[in-house]
Amino acid sequence: MRTLVARITAFFRKRDLDRDLDQELAVHLELATEDNIRRGLSPEEARRDALIRFGGVEAAREHHRDARGLPWLDSILHDIRYALRTLRRDAAFTTVALLILALGIGANTAVFSLGNVFLFRPLPVKDADRLTVVAVQSKADADPDQVSYPDYLDYRAHSSGVFAGMTGYCINIVGLGYRGHADRLIMSYVPSNFFSMLGIRPALGRLISPGEGDAPGTAPVVVLGHSYWVKRFGGDPDVIGHTVSLNGAAVTIIGVVPKEFLGAFNLVEMDAYAPIGMQGFPSPTSLFTSREDHEMRVLATLRPGVSISQAQAALNVIGQRLAHDYPHADQGQRIRVFSERAARPDPSAADSKPLVATVFLLMVGLVLVVACLNVANLLLARAAAREKEISIRAAIGAGRGRLLRQLLTESMLLALAGGVGGAILGNSVGYLLNGLRPLGDLPLRLAFVFDWRVFTYVAGVALLAGILAGLAPALRISRTDLNLALREGGRGLIGESGRHWLRNGLVVVQVAGSLILLVAAGLFTRSLTRAESIDLGFDPHNILNVSLEPGLQGYTQPRAEALCRELLRRTQTLPGVRSASLAFSIPLGYYNDGAPVYAETHALSPSQHVPGATLNAVSPDYFTTMRIRILEGRAFTGADIAVSEPVAIVSQTMAGRLWPHRDPVGQRFSYKAASGPFVTVVGVAHDVKINSLLEAPGMYFYVPENQDYHSTHVLQVRTSVPPESLAPAVEGLARQLDPNLPVYEVMSMEKSLEGANGFFLFKFGASFAGALGALGLLLAVVGVYGVVSYSAGRRRHEIGIRIALGAQRVTIFRLVIRQAVLLLGLGIALGVAAALGVSRLLVSLLVGVSAYDPLTFAGVSGILMAAALVACFIPAHRAARVDPMTALRDE
Amino acid sequence: MANPKLDLLQGTLDVMVLQTLHAIGPLHGYGIARRIEQISGNQVLLNQGTIYASLVRLQQRGWIAAEWGASDNNRKAKFYSITRNGRKQLAADAAHWQRLADVMGRMLAMSPGGETR
Repeated sequence: MRTLVARITAFFRKRDLDRDLDQELAVHLELATEDNIRRGLSPEEARRDALIRFGGVEAAREHHRDARGLPWLDSILHDIRYALRTLRRDAAFTTVALLILALGIGANTAVFSLGNVFLFRPLPVKDADRLTVVAVQSKADADPDQVSYPDYLDYRAHSSGVFAGMTGYCINIVGLGYRGHADRLIMSYVPSNFFSMLGIRPALGRLISPGEGDAPGTAPVVVLGHSYWVKRFGGDPDVIGHTVSLNGAAVTIIGVVPKEFLGAFNLVEMDAYAPIGMQGFPSPTSLFTSREDHEMRVLATLRPGVSISQAQAALNVIGQRLAHDYPHADQGQRIRVFSERAARPDPSAADSKPLVATVFLLMVGLVLVVACLNVANLLLARAAAREKEISIRAAIGAGRGRLLRQLLTESMLLALAGGVGGAILGNSVGYLLNGLRPLGDLPLRLAFVFDWRVFTYVAGVALLAGILAGLAPALRISRTDLNLALREGGRGLIGESGRHWLRNGLVVVQVAGSLILLVAAGLFTRSLTRAESIDLGFDPHNILNVSLEPGLQGYTQPRAEALCRELLRRTQTLPGVRSASLAFSIPLGYYNDGAPVYAETHALSPSQHVPGATLNAVSPDYFTTMRIRILEGRAFTGADIAVSEPVAIVSQTMAGRLWPHRDPVGQRFSYKAASGPFVTVVGVAHDVKINSLLEAPGMYFYVPENQDYHSTHVLQVRTSVPPESLAPAVEGLARQLDPNLPVYEVMSMEKSLEGANGFFLFKFGASFAGALGALGLLLAVVGVYGVVSYSAGRRRHEIGIRIALGAQRVTIFRLVIRQAVLLLGLGIALGVAAALGVSRLLVSLLVGVSAYDPLTFAGVSGILMAAALVACFIPAHRAARVDPMTALRDE
Repeated sequence: MANPKLDLLQGTLDVMVLQTLHAIGPLHGYGIARRIEQISGNQVLLNQGTIYASLVRLQQRGWIAAEWGASDNNRKAKFYSITRNGRKQLAADAAHWQRLADVMGRMLAMSPGGETR
């Protein structure tokens, strides 16, 4: 240990120590010389004898250095300096290799960073490793979903054996008014134990205290998110104690959360937090009473030593009891416990996430392998050119191990530099992803951080790449027979045929790998095309959506209704507008409303589960604007007003389920309680996609917006001109009516369909796979081109002879192209076989296209073949134009 | 030369250096080399330069210490002296070599009949 410390110190004090030693050696020689003179030798003789006895000053220095310092580190540094010189000399090679490695490593970094956000990085909270998410599945085949507040309370009260704590949050969009200006905020309403259970300490002021505001309307306070506090209040510490209006009610700012805490939800940073008792306040809310209202995202900390399956078992027991006590709401419901990481960003993704993660990681892994093979091939080609240098080094005594290390040092340096490039590239992809808007206007906050996990991963990947790319060429070259290489003047080599075999093999594998990537890209792209042609039940073209929420500005219901009606009337008169209507929500948006449905005619037995339906509140022209066909009965009219008979239009699926074999028009149902109030069905509408593109048609009904008030409105405008061109005019109308009224999410229906419940995942999957496929294609083309042009170059001499002997230029051209076709053919065949083997993984991620889709397989094979051949025309053309005289004279 | 000089066995030089410093006290590198040559009766083949690798090794292990001082004829030279740890090490090494020498002596004293003379 002591020696090691001394050696390391010595390593860094090289210059001082060398000077010391030189002085010491000089004294030694002088003393020896003087002794000799005393013994009667002449001064020259004396000096000579002293030197002989000393036995080589340089050798002594070398020994001394080896004994005192870190000789292996010295030689590594030497290798690095040498490698840097060589790499700099061969700038073209270095640039290409670096670029390839950076792309390969960058793709890996990007995917791993994404994985880090969704799979690995713990939330900055207490006991993050024991944090779980509790969710419920309403039916066996449904995705895990949020929990109703009363159920949450029951889970919490009876699970203290397995959970040390349970809390939750419910996300709402609210209006926060301050000094006459209202912001639209994304807010977590939380039980009072939220911050204490998660161990969050305030950055400023205080957080919600235990017991505070759990009862409805009792604690008019708000805690600000750190970013929002900085953005809106400029980070002013004096905001504590100020009063702001929250959805029109006065509340007091009591604190700010720390910067690193973005909330418990993984996609979006919370702007503010308020006690759960303030949810919906001041309007009445069913959150606290309804077990059908699934709004709570539940978090629970396992007791130390308790496993997830034990917690699951305990919750199952509670679930059975609740199903017995509350059959209408809880029957058939299954409770699930996930580790918090598994349930990101939403428990509904928990079951499919491992598969998606596997597919993504496999794909980028493949990109890395292809990139490494490419660089390996480049290194091999370069090794050929360096054969002579290596032979000379070997001849003057460099050991095989030493040579191997030298060559690996070069590839490692390349890989590490590529790793740095890749990390930068990968991180910028992260920022691009943060620019996506799957949730309307809400800014995505994916919390990409270059933490130690990402760093370790990138470093590991880079090292692996360095070894992978460098090992084969290094082993091959260090085995070079130096006699042969020196004699042949660096042209004819041992292993000439062996090397070709290796290089060709590498290219074939590269092409195969790229083909797999291209197949995946092709399948995802076709899947997107299919998804886009799914019948939505409405016509999304030429519609402009404008959201407004007068409630945020403190509008009461009558004033809000008047405002909306006036805005609608003025919009309808704008040139370019075909029709306009109001709705509460849009299909495939990120929010909607649901309710239990009680048909008047069939009495439910007390133990029956009440069916639920999604509902929308719309104005009369809604069906015209959205082009949703009315199949029976009528649409709403101006005569359906607040005081007229309550009416509804149901989807054809709802009609079929509630009143099979009967005329649905004229039937009555209630969406409040079994005892009413009832609404009368006046029409049946064509099914539309509500929550997701892939769902089976569901229970959906419409009520007139003036018979069921919602503060949130979407003004929809069907246009005869490009819809977004009308945006300024509509926004102008809104400003005329109230300059302070914020309108938001002003976008075409097609644009909003790109959101999380629309095409987002398909587009994301297709662009991700497409990017990797393009990368694979590029690498394959570069690889094939490299090998073909290299071997054409090596055969210049032979080609020269052939031409001199009268070979046609076309023949030569064909000769070169034939090699390319052979390599590509083999690679594609291998790739197709491998892709058929692995595309089974993709089955559940694809829509409307088979994982073995012949068109895709044939198409991408053709593209790969064509692109690579076009690239190979260059070396083929060059070979065909070889001048026999020059080619032969060169030898 | 009728009788070629002995090659130094691995590790013996370190012991010789320690023993020299133990017996004579602080010395500079040249002094140590000369002493070893003299004591061995010029029997060992010592490249005087190799002594410096040995000195730095012993120093890093903490068995000897070094200090700049003045030589007899007033030259600035580095003087080495044995440390307490060095003496302990020397004792252990000496015992080891003594045992080895004893064993070798007994082995070589063995007569063709297998009896010890």
